[in-house]
Amino acid sequence: MALEDFRRDQERCSECNSCKWIPFDQIKSQRFAIGCPSIAYNNFTGYSARGRFAIGLALNEGRIDLYSDKLQEIVFKCLTCGNCDVAHKVCRYDVEPLDHILEMRKTLTGAGQVLLEHMIYIDHLRKEDNMMLEPKAKRGDWAKGLDVKIATDEPCEVIYHAGCRFSFDEELWPSARSAATILKNAGVDVGIMGKDEACCGSRVHSMGFEGEYRKFAENAIDAWKTQGVKTVVTSCSDCYYAFNRLYPRLGAHFEVLHTVQYLERLIKEGKIKFGKSIPMKVTYHDPCHLGRQGESYVPWDGVAKKIKGQINLFNPPKPRYTGARGVYDAPRNVLKSIPGIELVEMERIREYAWCCGAGGGVRMAYPEFSGWTAAERIEEAKSTGAEAIVTTCGHCERNFLDAVETAGEKMKVLDVVQLVEQTM
Amino acid sequence: MALTKKIYQLFEDIVGPENISNDPVVLASYQNPINRASNHMGPFYDVFTPQAVAVLLPACTEEVSNIIKVCNKYGLKLKAFSTGWSGMGYPCEDDTIQLDLRRMNKIIQIDDKNCFAVIEPYVIAAVLQAELMKYGLNTHNIGAGAQASPLASCAYLGPGPDSVFMGFSNENLLGGEWVLPNGEIVRFGTLGSGSGWHYGEGPGPSVRAVLKGLLGSMGAMGVITKVALKVYPWPGPAVLPVKGTIPAYYTELPDNFKYYTLGFPTWQAFADAQHKIWDAQIGYILHRQFNKMGCDLKAGVIRILTESDRHLNDLEELLEDPEVKRHTEEARHDFEIVLAGMTPRDIEWQEKALEEILAETGGWKVKAMQDPMRNAWGMLYLIRWGHKNLNYLYSGSYEGTAGMSGSPDFGIQHIDKVKAFKQEWDKKGMMVADGGDSSMGSVGVIGGGGGFGWEVHACFDSHSKESVEGTLEFFDAMAKFMKENRLGPEKSKHMEPMRQSDGRATPQEARNKMFGATPFPIVYKYQKKVKDAFDPYDLGDVFYKYSTD
Ligand code: SF4
Ligand code: SF4
Repeated sequence: MALEDFRRDQERCSECNSCKWIPFDQIKSQRFAIGCPSIAYNNFTGYSARGRFAIGLALNEGRIDLYSDKLQEIVFKCLTCGNCDVAHKVCRYDVEPLDHILEMRKTLTGAGQVLLEHMIYIDHLRKEDNMMLEPKAKRGDWAKGLDVKIATDEPCEVIYHAGCRFSFDEELWPSARSAATILKNAGVDVGIMGKDEACCGSRVHSMGFEGEYRKFAENAIDAWKTQGVKTVVTSCSDCYYAFNRLYPRLGAHFEVLHTVQYLERLIKEGKIKFGKSIPMKVTYHDPCHLGRQGESYVPWDGVAKKIKGQINLFNPPKPRYTGARGVYDAPRNVLKSIPGIELVEMERIREYAWCCGAGGGVRMAYPEFSGWTAAERIEEAKSTGAEAIVTTCGHCERNFLDAVETAGEKMKVLDVVQLVEQTM
Repeated sequence: MALTKKIYQLFEDIVGPENISNDPVVLASYQNPINRASNHMGPFYDVFTPQAVAVLLPACTEEVSNIIKVCNKYGLKLKAFSTGWSGMGYPCEDDTIQLDLRRMNKIIQIDDKNCFAVIEPYVIAAVLQAELMKYGLNTHNIGAGAQASPLASCAYLGPGPDSVFMGFSNENLLGGEWVLPNGEIVRFGTLGSGSGWHYGEGPGPSVRAVLKGLLGSMGAMGVITKVALKVYPWPGPAVLPVKGTIPAYYTELPDNFKYYTLGFPTWQAFADAQHKIWDAQIGYILHRQFNKMGCDLKAGVIRILTESDRHLNDLEELLEDPEVKRHTEEARHDFEIVLAGMTPRDIEWQEKALEEILAETGGWKVKAMQDPMRNAWGMLYLIRWGHKNLNYLYSGSYEGTAGMSGSPDFGIQHIDKVKAFKQEWDKKGMMVADGGDSSMGSVGVIGGGGGFGWEVHACFDSHSKESVEGTLEFFDAMAKFMKENRLGPEKSKHMEPMRQSDGRATPQEARNKMFGATPFPIVYKYQKKVKDAFDPYDLGDVFYKYSTD
């Protein structure tokens, strides 16, 4: 695909502005009605899916210059969270706002229009296989002392992929350690890659660095194939998205589960037994890449067709990613099964959840915008009366922890898996 | 005058550096694709509204006033929009400042005792409705949808699905704050005498008639920065209980709410029922809505929209389903009604009245829409009114073409003629063949009586040259047909009097000629006097329509 291939989408955008809000049907208050953090923070209409269509069209038509700082800023100051995509798809079937944003990024990076802030991470990734500015050699440290198989040494059916954030962010190590331990104790034939694990490539994919993404994706697929892996489990929603939605395009055929889905399965099978009660009111944050972008890849190879004169369809039917089939119930079911936990919902949940602010390279390049987005979510969590915001993604957790610290809030930030382990 | 550094600095001093831009990329995002119609014609015919010289995001009335004063001093034009949905909100001349009012987004007051709400321009209807419901109140939604700003249409007519209960936009305007084209701030209605927001005609300046003029000023007569709007009872929950997943959201409301799609054997029965509903003074929402998807297609499309796993690709198969076919036939002459009982007795009475009306007219409740899921979806759709983008569902572009407002007895005599005419054109394959009748519109005005407005949509593919050209030909043919049959103006050309094919204003002489040929040329002449009095430096653009003849 190239940006030129999105011309139809650009021209079929109706400028209705739905993409700035959560789906209108779901608006419960003015305070939490907005869906797009980018427009909410930056205000000029260019910082919305609608504006990016207008700008993409201007680029395609040569009305603006590709080499412009403002263009770079508008294209990269977006979380690629996909809330716009959901709001848009309440009514539309033939236009893809999020794919268009991702294509704009590829166009810019392809032309060398990259952010210096991003290049620091990209250069590091190329050398050290991670996006955390940490040495590769420290990658497996999170699992020190855990009695878990190393997949390169012993074959295993299930691979637990910690991901860059859980591997290098020490404050989050307990989540990864809990996940690996619970799986092992439940009798799962699980292993880890340890220091040989590498970045999944999801983040660089969302930043427009297609070449880097492919390299890491192909390496991971090859390694898992060699080791006879059947199932890949991860606690990181970004990694989940890569394995579940992106890798199958490159021929990967592994079962992909987020830790929380595996936990739900183990609870149903009676392999996890809860002990003590945790009396706590919590609210759950749906990570974009597990929720609305957590729909599984469906292969499609087809062409456009028309019926009834001018209704645009596809032959065979093209899969439609709306967010309807994301992973929403598994984390809620797990939370509800923990004795003492009371789950209260925020206003923006499931497919129209507000983003944590960490995605799309925004935390790296625009930390203030990223922090503001997270702080907004903490405000929403507070409005429910919950004492903890619980999530299923290390990137969300880190952004919330920082926002809570900056604001001096008391809100706890937890991973579902930590609560499960506490009660076992 | 062009935007010099000095003038830019003056603007920047007013709004702050982060709220002004003349960067080419930002300006490009504020250019609206527009041709003769309000909607897209794709790469073959679209042109763009002229680029503004700068975009400004003011935060308050004082900033707007100061911006306008600078514009007047240096001979710059000004165009403001609230949400930017319509092409009329964008410049149609060079050297224009674009105001994007999105930072003015406060609900200033909700007075539940006196039933009004005071809002700024970027409060959209969906948001205002959600906040009002907490007070047992509701707001009028204009036909343009819940993403539109109620303030933006307050000086226009502004009919909508709930007009039978909540009136038109201009009827609900109780007072406001208006920055005149010379920068002066006028507080009108009771607000102007320091008596609060509750009455539009004063004591205090009574300018509602000036504001409205012929059909509103469409962003060309200064900037309205706050309005008080009359709001109405909402006998439902404080928060709409919405369930389901995209796109099949639905709401289950208490028993004092009922939604039906009503079907009738003939157009005459359809019209008779409307008169009887008005006489009985029942109905909270009264609208012909789902037919906009086309009389032959709507039953299939409704299934797609109410089952989240469905795709538009399922349409062909669905249209062969016997139940869908039955639905289609049951709803050939149909409209939607929502009843809202203020008390249990009220809803009981309204239901009985409706039953009698159906018995007298031979009408029925369309069975397929009584299905609990579809019914709960339809209820939410009609109350929240948040699906306007469905107008573009089929192929990315559409335009209203034939249509009229007036007594249903008159209107219904022509729907079949228009349908037959469109069906012939549909056979050419350039537009969506929807069965010919995609008429939709508001049924009734406040308190009942009188009005059924309908408009037929033509859906076409903005990215297909054949489709665009075929549709343009159809619009011309329909205009001729409408003229020959004395059915009033064809609607796709509604931008034509103001914009040339390059998006810029039509010359005054051409407008004089056009306005002179209308049934009320005197109105356009009078509006010139208003323009001279209120906009001496010609700040606004041609969307305030006047004749100099
Ligand atoms: S991207 Fe979609 S939702 Fe946004 S303005 Fe365009 S059509 Fe509307
Ligand atoms: S992806 Fe998220 S931040 Fe980017 S435009 Fe869409 S809603 Fe806004």
